[in-house]
Amino acid sequence: MGNLTDKYCIVGVGETPHMRPSNRTTLSMACEAVKKAMANAGLEPRDIDGMTSYQAGDSTSSNHVATALGIRLNYSLDIFGGGSSTEALIAHAVGLLEGGYCKTIVIFRSMNGRSGRRMGGQAPSGPVPPTQAAGDQQFYMHWGWTTPAQWFGMSAMRYLRDSGATTKTFAEVAVAHRYHASLNPKAIMRAPITIEDHQRSRWVSKPLRLLDCCLETDVSAAIIITSRERAFDLKQPPVFIMGGTARTMAPSPAWNYSRPEIHYVAGNYGRNRLFGMAGISQKDVDIISCYDAFTFTTTIQLEAYGFCGKGEAKDFVKGGRLQIDHELPSNLSGGHLSEGYTHGISMVIENVRQLRHRADDACPRWEEGIHTYDRKAGCRQVKKARIAACLGWGTEATSSSAILRGIIG
Amino acid sequence: MPGTIDYSRITIVPDFDTAEWWMGTKQHKYLVRQCKSCGHKWFPPFPACNKCTSMDLTWFETAGKGVIHSYIVVTQPILSAFIETVPYVVALIELDDCHETDGALVRVAGVLLDDEEAVAMGLPVEVVFQQTNEPNIVIPRWKICGTAENTWKFVE
Repeated sequence: MGNLTDKYCIVGVGETPHMRPSNRTTLSMACEAVKKAMANAGLEPRDIDGMTSYQAGDSTSSNHVATALGIRLNYSLDIFGGGSSTEALIAHAVGLLEGGYCKTIVIFRSMNGRSGRRMGGQAPSGPVPPTQAAGDQQFYMHWGWTTPAQWFGMSAMRYLRDSGATTKTFAEVAVAHRYHASLNPKAIMRAPITIEDHQRSRWVSKPLRLLDCCLETDVSAAIIITSRERAFDLKQPPVFIMGGTARTMAPSPAWNYSRPEIHYVAGNYGRNRLFGMAGISQKDVDIISCYDAFTFTTTIQLEAYGFCGKGEAKDFVKGGRLQIDHELPSNLSGGHLSEGYTHGISMVIENVRQLRHRADDACPRWEEGIHTYDRKAGCRQVKKARIAACLGWGTEATSSSAILRGIIG
Repeated sequence: MPGTIDYSRITIVPDFDTAEWWMGTKQHKYLVRQCKSCGHKWFPPFPACNKCTSMDLTWFETAGKGVIHSYIVVTQPILSAFIETVPYVVALIELDDCHETDGALVRVAGVLLDDEEAVAMGLPVEVVFQQTNEPNIVIPRWKICGTAENTWKFVE
C-alpha cells in the first residue's frame, strides 16, 4: 500500500444477530447491518456515498440497500465470492477512496446461509434434489465432490500425511475458537469443548469432523471505511488500514489439485506483500482472524502467513497458544466455527472491536473501553491489541488479507 | 464396495469446451487436454494452454492409470444422487503418463469402487467406465489395481 498505509480507517461496524433461521430477506438483514454500522460510526445516510458487497448468487444488491435506506451512492459494486472477499473489498475501498470515486464506503454481506442457499448446494431440508452439473461442476458433481468440506478435506488429508500432524492439531483450533465464543454473547455455540469432544464428534468428510466445520448462519454484517481525517471526527477510536492483499492467487487457482503441493496455499504467495505493505513483521501482530471455514483452513494459514514454519502448526497450536491471554489469540468472537458464518466479514468486525478496546462482552462499561479482563466474568477484550492480521481464505489457491492498527491500549 | 450412485439425479450438461471429453468417456477413453504447440497436458479442459497461451489444442488419451495422491471419505451425502453411496472414497489420482520434464503433472478425481479399508495414498489405480441411465453419459470410476511400498493411510 506504500504511502497509503494508515491513510484510511474502518470507522463503523454492525451486524444482525446470527440466526437459524432468520425468517427475513437478505435485503432486510442488510438494511439492519448497514444501519447499525452507520450508528456505530456516528454517520447518517447522507454521509455514505459508496457501497460494495459480495455474494454467491444468494443475496441482495448495494442498489437495493441504498434505496431502502435513502442513501444516494456515487459508487456501488456487488462482487461474486465468499471467504476471500472482505479483505479484498477493503483493499478495493482504499483504492476507490484514494481515487476520489467516493468519500465514505460501506462493505456488507447478507446471507441466509442456513435457511436459504447453503454452501455445497444442499437444500435446507437435506440432500439436494436432482440437479444439473454444468460448467466447472461437470468435473466435481459426478465425483460426489461438491462441498467445501469435501474439497478442502482433500488438501487437509494430504497435509496430515506430509506434516505428520494429526487431527488433534485441528482440535486445538476448535477448542480455542469455542472458548472465545463462550465469552461472546452473540455467538451461536457457546458451550466450551475439549480436545476429546472434538475427537468424538461425528465424521462429515474424513479427515474433517463436525467440530472441524463452521456453522451455517443467516446473518448480515457491514463495515464502513473513510479517510483518517474524517475518522477522527467520528464516534469511535479509528482503526487504521496498514496494508493488505486482494485475492492473491497461487498458480492454477481454478484447478488447485495438479499443483506440486496441494496444501501450499495462497497465503504463502501473499504474505510478503501483506507484511511488506504494512511495514511490520509477524511478531508485531497481537491478534489474528484466521479464516475458519474449517479448523484446517486456520491451521494451514498459520503456516502460510509465516506465524510458524511449514509443517510446524502441529506444535505451534499446542498449549492454547491461539487462546485469549496466550501468544496469538485467534478469532476472538468464536469465528465461523462457533460464532456464526459470514464468509469472513464478522472476523474483521471482531478485530475492529478489539483494536478499539471495545469488545462487546459482559463488562458493564465496554462501550467506554473499560474492561475487567476477568474471563470468568465474561470479559473478551485482549489487554494489548494494537495490531490485528485478518487472514481471509477463498480456496487453497485464493487468499485475501489485511493488517489493521488501533490506537488504544 | 460403496453403494450405487443414482446418476438419474445429476444431469451432466456438456459445453463447447467439454463435449469431446464426454464423447471420450463414452468410448472408454480418459482424455486430458493437450497443447499442439508445446505439448503441455492439463485437466479439467480449460480452453487455452497455461504454459504458452496457445488455443490450438488436441486431446491426449491417457492409459487411465495413476497413483492415489490424496483422498477423502464422504460419510454425509450432500447430493441426492449419493444418498445410497455413502460412505464413499473420492480419490485424487496422479496420472502415470502425464508427467512433464519441468515437473508439471495432471491429477484427476473420482469415486473409488473400493472401500475406505482398502484405500491408501501411494496405491495404484485404474479407470473403470460406468454407463449411466443417460445413454450419452459414461462416468469414469477408479479401482485399486495393485500394491505399493510407502503408502500412507488415515487411521483415526
